[in-house]
Amino acid sequence: MSKSGLEFTEMHWLMDVLQNIDIGLVILDRDYKIQLWNGFMENHSGLRPDQVHDKPLFDSFSNIPADWFKQKAEPVFELKTRTFTIWEQRPYLFKFKNYRPITGRAEHMYQNTSIIPLESIDGSVKHICVIIYDVTDIAVKQQDLAKVNSSVAISLDTPSEDTPSEDTPSEDTLSENTDSTDDVTNLASTTDALTKLMTTDQWQKNLAEECNHSSGSLILIEIDQPEDTDVDQQDDIISKLALLLRRASRQLDIVGRLQHNHFAIFLVDAQAKTAVNFAERVRSKFAETAINGDLFTVSAGVAELKQGNNDHLGLYSNAEKALRHAQGNGKNKTTLYQT
Amino acid sequence: MSVPILICDDSSFARKQMNRSLPDNWDVEVTFATNGLEGLEAIRQGKGEVVFLDLTMPEMDGYGVLENIRKEDLHAMVIVVSGDIQPDAQARVQKLGAMAFVKKPIDKLKTTQILTEFGILSSE
Amino acid sequence: MSVQVTEDQRDCYQEISNVAMGQAADKLARLLDVYVILPIPKINIISASDLHMALAGANTSDNVSAVCQGFIGSGIAGEALLIFNDASFTDLAKLMKYEGSLDYHGELELLMDVSSVLIGACLQGIGEQLELHFNQGHPVVLGQHCQIDDLVKAGNHQWSKTLAIEIHYEIENLNIDCDLLLLFTEDSVAKLNEQVDYLLD
Repeated sequence: MSKSGLEFTEMHWLMDVLQNIDIGLVILDRDYKIQLWNGFMENHSGLRPDQVHDKPLFDSFSNIPADWFKQKAEPVFELKTRTFTIWEQRPYLFKFKNYRPITGRAEHMYQNTSIIPLESIDGSVKHICVIIYDVTDIAVKQQDLAKVNSSVAISLDTPSEDTPSEDTPSEDTLSENTDSTDDVTNLASTTDALTKLMTTDQWQKNLAEECNHSSGSLILIEIDQPEDTDVDQQDDIISKLALLLRRASRQLDIVGRLQHNHFAIFLVDAQAKTAVNFAERVRSKFAETAINGDLFTVSAGVAELKQGNNDHLGLYSNAEKALRHAQGNGKNKTTLYQT
Repeated sequence: MSVPILICDDSSFARKQMNRSLPDNWDVEVTFATNGLEGLEAIRQGKGEVVFLDLTMPEMDGYGVLENIRKEDLHAMVIVVSGDIQPDAQARVQKLGAMAFVKKPIDKLKTTQILTEFGILSSE
Repeated sequence: MSVQVTEDQRDCYQEISNVAMGQAADKLARLLDVYVILPIPKINIISASDLHMALAGANTSDNVSAVCQGFIGSGIAGEALLIFNDASFTDLAKLMKYEGSLDYHGELELLMDVSSVLIGACLQGIGEQLELHFNQGHPVVLGQHCQIDDLVKAGNHQWSKTLAIEIHYEIENLNIDCDLLLLFTEDSVAKLNEQVDYLLD
């Protein structure tokens, strides 16, 4: 059906739908002045279309970082291509408060956005449409799993950086950062300061939860070298191992630092073979990574949890047996617990 | 007298598409080549007064064909028809003596325009 | 349903992909002011168990980061997977004039920016030639700094055999390379073949 073929009533319906749809629609011109502002935007921002019409986006919403947004939007104008942003990059484009007192657990709405070109008759793009999706529920669920907030830009290569510097990572992250600060505070009790991995309590809680409904494999890893080196060196070794683990694992995996040099990784849905490969990769990579000029090694124990067996304590003890076996047989090894 | 045309592309679909894009009522004698070497040979035999040349091909690519045309001082008006439309690629073939650069996918309108522009096809 | 393509159809897919990747490369070239090296795209019918083999174009020992994006239009659906060699990020950051620190977050930004352009332009190019319009879903980051084997778990797929288009992009004189894999759903292939046959007629 061609656009010109649309009956007037159909056009009217469409306008009604756009006004009422639970998705934000904003049309911007070449100077980023707002040309269209649908019901979703009006309701969540509290600003009527006539209050924002023909005003530059960045004037009405000063907390949208103009440089960042333009970097996403310019290719849409220039190359006629669509671009996307996801909440993991930046939690929201427009800061809208949580509007659901019962089911809304986040403080603000998480948003994914699509920016699409709108061609004018001569084929050039003079307007773009920003489409805003509310993905709060997805974001909250994922964060529950990972307990890591993406808005906290953790500088992975310098894990010993102090926490306070992390909620102001660079100017191009959210200019208004109050939410991130809150998240950092919340994270503090659940996250190990040195490694940014889960603390023992948090890890056990997540593991118990996960074991109830999934299969997977548990890997326990310990550093082989005695703890008699100086504290700074110890911290560097531990940070390096934590960095390797974080990089190797997926978001849904449960990675924790349980004791000083004792790490645990639950790989969701992974069979023993996959987990052994994972452990071996980390082990070999770590063994060849020089830390302040010295080389260190780790040993690993792996145990698999079959679907329906929610005995996470038994799983832990099996993995520990495997770990002790690896340590008792020359270290720098991975052992799989076999029934 | 019919004009000897050479269509040089490794893809049979692209050759077909090119052939279909030739203007109606244009009296031509079309030869096809599936790589640069074949194409160059056809040009040497005088089968390519106008050449529609692809760039990425096995054996010898379009750049190679252009270089050889120049080296051997062959008579051919080359229109490069390419999927690689980056500014660099366009500049490079123009430097090598190509008459024109057309972006793939080709169609009748584009072909007619370019042929008319260079006076190969009179706009009567 | 048996998924098959004839030699003519394969040739046609290759040419269409070639043109589409050229358009995508052109946009990337203009965005970054570089020259993108374009090899010939590969057209394959692959089985689910070979999926990781199809991804092996990237150096398997290196760590990679990947973005996935679904697309659908006119009865044809599939997913685009863009895999970046992690070694690419340093040069990419320079080209994109990214000034923040190149941490996970910074790399995610680069990954999203480049994948938007490459995936979007490529789909648009294929769509235009086949006279289809694809809607794109939201991109999903499959993983950062992981091994290819971990990206796509074998044995979890609903399909047995399908059409795959593989495109490798490299930037001249720079240490940047990535692989774009377009994978169509099993039942889209018949429909795609129809569109292609129409062009071949």
